[in-house]
Amino acid sequence: MAYVSMGEAHRRVTEFLSRFSDSVFSQNGSSLKQLFSVSSNSSSLLSLADALNVFQDSNRLIKQSDTYSQLGEILVPLLRSLQSYRNGNLVDAYTSFEKSANVFLQEFRNWESAWAMEAMYVMAYEIRVLAERADRELASVGKNPEKLKGAGSFLMKVFGALAGKGPKRIGALYVTCQLFKVYFKLGTVHLCRSVIRSIETARIFDFEEFPVRDKVTYMYYTGRLEVYNENFVVADQKLTYALIHCNPRSEANIRMILKYLIPVKLSIGILPTSWLLKKYSLLEYENVVQALKRGDLRLLRHALQEHEDRFLRSGVYLVLEKLELQVYQRLIKKIYIFQKQKDPSKAHQVKLEVIVKALKWLGMDMDVDEVECIVAILIHKNLVKGYFAHRSKVAVLSKQDPFPKLNGKPVNS
Amino acid sequence: MERRGRGRGRARGERNLGFHNRGRNPSSSSNKFASSSNTHSNKNNEESSTITSSIVGTCNDMCPVKERAQRERLRDLSVFERLDGNRGKTSPSLAVKKFCRTISTMDIQPSDVRPLQVLQDTLFYLFRLLDSSEHPFELVHDFIFDRTRAIRQDISMQNITSVQAIHMYEEMVKFHIVSQYKLPKCSDDPNISSSHLNMEQLSKCLLSLYDLYDASRKSNSINDNEAEFYSYYVLLHLDSESQKMGESLSLWLRHLTTPVVKSKEMCFARRMLRFFRMGNYKCFFSTIAAEASYLHYCLMEPLIHEVRLHAVTCINYAGYKLHPYPLEHLSKLLMMVESDMESLCNSCGFEISSDEAGNKLLPLKQTGSCRTKTGFQKYTFMGSERIQSLNDSFRMLQASYHKDS
Repeated sequence: MAYVSMGEAHRRVTEFLSRFSDSVFSQNGSSLKQLFSVSSNSSSLLSLADALNVFQDSNRLIKQSDTYSQLGEILVPLLRSLQSYRNGNLVDAYTSFEKSANVFLQEFRNWESAWAMEAMYVMAYEIRVLAERADRELASVGKNPEKLKGAGSFLMKVFGALAGKGPKRIGALYVTCQLFKVYFKLGTVHLCRSVIRSIETARIFDFEEFPVRDKVTYMYYTGRLEVYNENFVVADQKLTYALIHCNPRSEANIRMILKYLIPVKLSIGILPTSWLLKKYSLLEYENVVQALKRGDLRLLRHALQEHEDRFLRSGVYLVLEKLELQVYQRLIKKIYIFQKQKDPSKAHQVKLEVIVKALKWLGMDMDVDEVECIVAILIHKNLVKGYFAHRSKVAVLSKQDPFPKLNGKPVNS
Repeated sequence: MERRGRGRGRARGERNLGFHNRGRNPSSSSNKFASSSNTHSNKNNEESSTITSSIVGTCNDMCPVKERAQRERLRDLSVFERLDGNRGKTSPSLAVKKFCRTISTMDIQPSDVRPLQVLQDTLFYLFRLLDSSEHPFELVHDFIFDRTRAIRQDISMQNITSVQAIHMYEEMVKFHIVSQYKLPKCSDDPNISSSHLNMEQLSKCLLSLYDLYDASRKSNSINDNEAEFYSYYVLLHLDSESQKMGESLSLWLRHLTTPVVKSKEMCFARRMLRFFRMGNYKCFFSTIAAEASYLHYCLMEPLIHEVRLHAVTCINYAGYKLHPYPLEHLSKLLMMVESDMESLCNSCGFEISSDEAGNKLLPLKQTGSCRTKTGFQKYTFMGSERIQSLNDSFRMLQASYHKDS
């Protein structure tokens, strides 16, 4: 913390106060928004915070001025939040910011135009980020981390202020996305449902009107929810939308989308190239893709085990596990192709024992009953066309298109 | 953006997953056993209430004196509580505190609440009632159902989160699991509502147990049975239809700690999940026969029937028309007595034929429907002596519980 003289400190504080009040009274949103970015560590806010440590009398300054005192209830806690944040007191930084934000929200409701929307975006972002940091501090001293939950409540209030017919409704999707981030972090994902319902069914909202950035984030989160519920067709639509409209230079965001889109695509029979996996550092899927290509069940199981923790935490483990049937399909297809080369007239008859042997080569010990069971399932789900004969222990494949492709549809359940 | 798993502890915040999380406001309570003394009222757990500090109970009987006198007057005594069959007379050794939905604890006296030791003794007494065959199971179940609910209420009112409370909840979960299995077999007319109510309590009890595990993890104590009781959640949600009601298993699995994920019990449950979702009837049944405990069997029994129907459907659809499937082999695969197998096929509208040697066969490519029917099938689980013997050897209140009391 740099040394600041009393005079310089006083100057910085008054400069901030006048900037703030000018922005509000001239309704200058882009100027106002910068003044709320507590966590941004911008040089101007940092130097202000240093000044606040030296000049301790800002409250009196605010109260004594006609102009500043009107905004006192916003300014006093905001300055305190900035100071606390600078001093590493994260819990206080949050609670003060929340106080300021609540008063600002009340004022915001009264302004008819959406001039302060950008400032509200910053506020919504900050309240979440500051709450996360406050909770980390609380947890580290063994206390109950409840600030993020409070931030969620505040964001719902903001959403309520935006859910109207006026121009402010354009901000609703941004706030929705902040709420998604809060709920995902807290693990209370089911709470997303009510906001989603408001966005998708309320007549005041026209989805196309929202900014692209917000639409991408929204589709990313709702797409993820569809992945968890294994609605692959819808998940594909949403995540692909996010991918197409995402900023192509934002590699980190593309990676996040692909992390969920790839399992979805695999489930509908579409494989990513190695180039894609390498470019976006998603090599955990490499062996899964290879297993599907080769019909190598052992490789699939191995890949799931190797990255079990990662796949479980992102929630795609069960989706990837389901790919087993497609791997079996590929294995039997390879046997069929091999047999075709040797004797085309007999190729469509695959002895169950041959499948048992092939699996044994892969180190998988399955008896003929289990193989018959798998074949019956594959036929039932239309991954294999044909029938099995129990007495002769053979699978007889259809002469035409015995291994139908998924063609963008998930395996029949 | 997503939660970075450090492999320790579940996410904080809203914990009520599963069946009953519809339409709640975002600020409704999370961990009702939070270490802070200020607990919000949790609409899904009638047992908890709005309190600012927890009560310390002083009632030394299974039932508070006031309630005993009142219920004697009103002749509101369960058959288990009557002295010599007298509807209006009970005793301290027979009366057990009834469950009562409380709105606030403002009116609750410490003399109405039982301390931990008394609660343990009460639970012990209640489970002993299961040993006698004097009364039909349904009656015993209803009594224990209600009285254990009151025990949980007393526990949460006093904010007890000790290992003894955990063991009590574990035993109560086991009770509900076994009841879920036994209740439908009690009468020919399956009482759907008592099963439904039991399932409701089972899930509430299980979720509260998870809250207790979380609270105890903060004080760094290890719970021996954690993995077992987390695995029961998976087995309860094998059927994805039930997932539509609550959180998907994919989301739920995210928050398990690594030791639980890698545990023997959880690996078993996840294997069963894989076999069920794939429709792999061969492994589904052979694994149950080889590895399932009594409680596993109780949990999975409704699905056993579903998998059998699925197997018959697949085989009928995919099998060669000219090779009817030998019933003996099929019933071995599906762990059924041959006569039950025949009866199941018939109930799907499939006919059974015979060959010259008298062996029964299932002709294939028949038209018929194997829709899962509501109602209960009475087919036994054959082919595993191990499973047969489980019913006799299962006892609630295993050794570890006795050690703590």
